[in-house]
Amino acid sequence: MIDFTLSKAQQAAREYAHQVALEEMRPISLECDRTEEIPESFFWNMQRRYWGGAAAQARAFGQDEGVRQENLLTVISQEEMAWGDAALATAIPGPGLAAPPILSQGTPEQQARFLGIYMDGQLHWGALALTEPGIGSDVAGMSTTAVLDGDEWVINGHKHYITNGARADLIVTFATIDKRLGREGIRPFVVPKGTPGLIVGRIEKKMGLRASQTAELIFDNCRIPKENMLAGRGEKKEGFKAAMGTLDATRPMVGAMAVGIARAAYEAAWEWLREELPAGYPPQQRRAWEEELEELGQEIEMARFLVWRAAWMADRRIPNSKEASMSKAYAGALVMKATATAVRITAPGEDSERKQLIQKWFRDAKVFDIFEGTAQIQRLVIARRLFPNIDIP
Amino acid sequence: MLDFAPTEEQEEIRKLAQSLALDHLRPHARRAEAEQDSSTELRLTLAQTGLTSPFPEEYGGSGPLEAVTYTLIAEELAYGDPGLALNIIGSLMGPLTVWLAGSHEQQQQYLPPFCNPTSGYLQRGSLAFAESTGTYRLADIRLQARRTSEGYLLTGTKRDVVHGQRADLRVVLARLVENENENEDKVAEGKLCAFVLPSPLEGLSIQAEAEKLGLQAAPSARYRFTQAQVPASALLGEAGSSGVVRAATLYQILRAALACGTARAAFEYCSAYARERIAFGRPIVSYQGIAFMIAEMAMKLDAARLLTWRAACSWDRGEADETLIREAESAQRQAIKMAQAATTDAIQVMGGAGFMQDHPAEMWMRDAAAME
Ligand SMILES: Cc1cc2nc3c(=O)[nH]c(=O)nc-3n(C[C@H](O)[C@H](O)[C@H](O)COP(=O)(O)OP(=O)(O)OC[C@H]3O[C@@H](n4cnc5c(N)ncnc54)[C@H](O)[C@@H]3O)c2cc1C
Repeated sequence: MIDFTLSKAQQAAREYAHQVALEEMRPISLECDRTEEIPESFFWNMQRRYWGGAAAQARAFGQDEGVRQENLLTVISQEEMAWGDAALATAIPGPGLAAPPILSQGTPEQQARFLGIYMDGQLHWGALALTEPGIGSDVAGMSTTAVLDGDEWVINGHKHYITNGARADLIVTFATIDKRLGREGIRPFVVPKGTPGLIVGRIEKKMGLRASQTAELIFDNCRIPKENMLAGRGEKKEGFKAAMGTLDATRPMVGAMAVGIARAAYEAAWEWLREELPAGYPPQQRRAWEEELEELGQEIEMARFLVWRAAWMADRRIPNSKEASMSKAYAGALVMKATATAVRITAPGEDSERKQLIQKWFRDAKVFDIFEGTAQIQRLVIARRLFPNIDIP
Repeated sequence: MLDFAPTEEQEEIRKLAQSLALDHLRPHARRAEAEQDSSTELRLTLAQTGLTSPFPEEYGGSGPLEAVTYTLIAEELAYGDPGLALNIIGSLMGPLTVWLAGSHEQQQQYLPPFCNPTSGYLQRGSLAFAESTGTYRLADIRLQARRTSEGYLLTGTKRDVVHGQRADLRVVLARLVENENENEDKVAEGKLCAFVLPSPLEGLSIQAEAEKLGLQAAPSARYRFTQAQVPASALLGEAGSSGVVRAATLYQILRAALACGTARAAFEYCSAYARERIAFGRPIVSYQGIAFMIAEMAMKLDAARLLTWRAACSWDRGEADETLIREAESAQRQAIKMAQAATTDAIQVMGGAGFMQDHPAEMWMRDAAAME
């Protein structure tokens, strides 16, 4: 039955995450953005209050409700986390983007071995390395190679723009085992931190999401055990499928983050109109802004519903590539519009912390049109699903 | 708990509505546009399904439906043809308002003719909502109903009243005011109420709307009330009751669903065209300039549909009036805006062919524009 009300678990996911975002993220948001550094206390607080608190409680309620809803619970809480601070949200300890490929392509033994690391209560991160200086959108054209030498894979290549790349305990790295095979030669490998030959290069300076770590990784004869290849089920296209399947799960999460930032900007713009609008503004101007914000509010709701629907499909194991891309594409465009609108509306008047936050969110927003597949790539995915028999290059 | 799948029963009803849309609405769309009405056969066919009499069984109806179900039906009908769909929904809104806002007595008086198995399909209802001074938002309703010793005096205008001219049941939305010559703001704050108009009514002039831009298959009229006196019994239920808000928001939600259906028709039609049409040796949809436009259409249609479903869900759960108004008006605004963009882009996808009356795209673009 079509239903837009949140269950107890879903409500818990939202409320607890919101509390954490409000109390642990907002107070340090501007400072972390300025310094591009995150205090260690934040990580421990997240360990305790997010994993040990909000997420655990939502999951516990969810188990009582008897339906699979991990994806829904995640997008609901991701929206709140990004409402708090999207950069800090990417730095919450945990396997992060490394988890989906391990879960979808790892054998049970590999899942236990790799994900077990994250259960010891210490601070651990994960990363996913697809992008290279030479290729981004065109993942299939990657040039990082993996060659089997005895009991070891030897990885050589160059990845960049890798979120949490320098702090990750495990990096799921995609490489080709045979370039002639094109996309079918691509496989995911789990590379542990500290492996000889894994070199952390530069940490990028960015327009936004500055507290999020974006690293360059160089693989120079980097040797990992044979058992670290995730292609447990051995089918031909498994590797590439793993990369793409991962995106179906993570795109709604990225969409949810975009919704969270959009909502933060939207709320702040309303508050500014109520509390900071300089005296003497003509009422028609104010009314025009209010109408613009009302419209934006409606678009935020639509973006959220697209995100929820894509996550709900994932929970039901309904193929959702098209819907996942819709949620990401819509939310990615919306967050730019929302933050740009908030910057414009709040331009007059004195400087304030609220305005600085709005400007930060504006800088953060643009990346949501880029990572996890650009706006164009999302539209390609949607179009290819709509027209499966037509070659849309 | 969040859920995005219709029930099995709703899915069956949706499929029924879809087959009616494809077999009986789409093929007759151009004729209905020219004749500016639906045919009697079409009304009979629809009545036989029971979809057009969703009233309580005690009045002979086929039983009330949930708003979500009706939203699914309305989208399908508009997917067949927006004008005919509005013709059907517009008629239905008259008796639906009586059912939602009227007293038991009023229901007994007005509903049975619409449920009559032999003649019910000939009945036309109507609900007058929008006015010459505003849009389909409740805040824009300015038709004044001033209480007098004999009943109420109505003053104001209505536009876009589907079946307004020939209706067997005319319902109008108005604002209750206490004093003569109230200023605009006071009128806007007056309690929302609905009246059934006696026929004939002195002081009411009705004029058919001619030369319409779109939605011609739904004949409509303008009303002008100059001190029209209606009896106290004409007021449906009580002024300011939730029933009136539920009727008005249901219309808004269904108008949103009609917009979704219109957009879907345009989206599917231009998709099929783009798959077949070859330019520079390739199907035009293989060019990103076309493919992305269509992807955008699909995405925004889904977004607006979800917003519409959410409003319908809240309606079914009986949410507070303010929530219903906010959600229904959001859905209406976004869905109509989306349909206007989708139908316009559908023509662009088809190039010159889209501009020709050989294809329905140009009609859908005019229909969507006429939904304002
Ligand atoms: C802050 C940040 C964090 C990131 N984190 C990670 C991470 O953790 N792991 C990781 O692997 N990557 C990560 N990335 C990389 C990101 O996924 C890529 O930047 C993205 O996929 C785009 O690739 P590119 O930058 O090489 O752009 P390109 O692929 O070079 O694209 C340039 C332009 O061409 C367009 N384009 C490309 N192909 C087509 C086509 N077929 N049709 C139409 N237009 C096309 C694109 O849309 C874009 O507008 C991150 C990026 C950023 C900015």
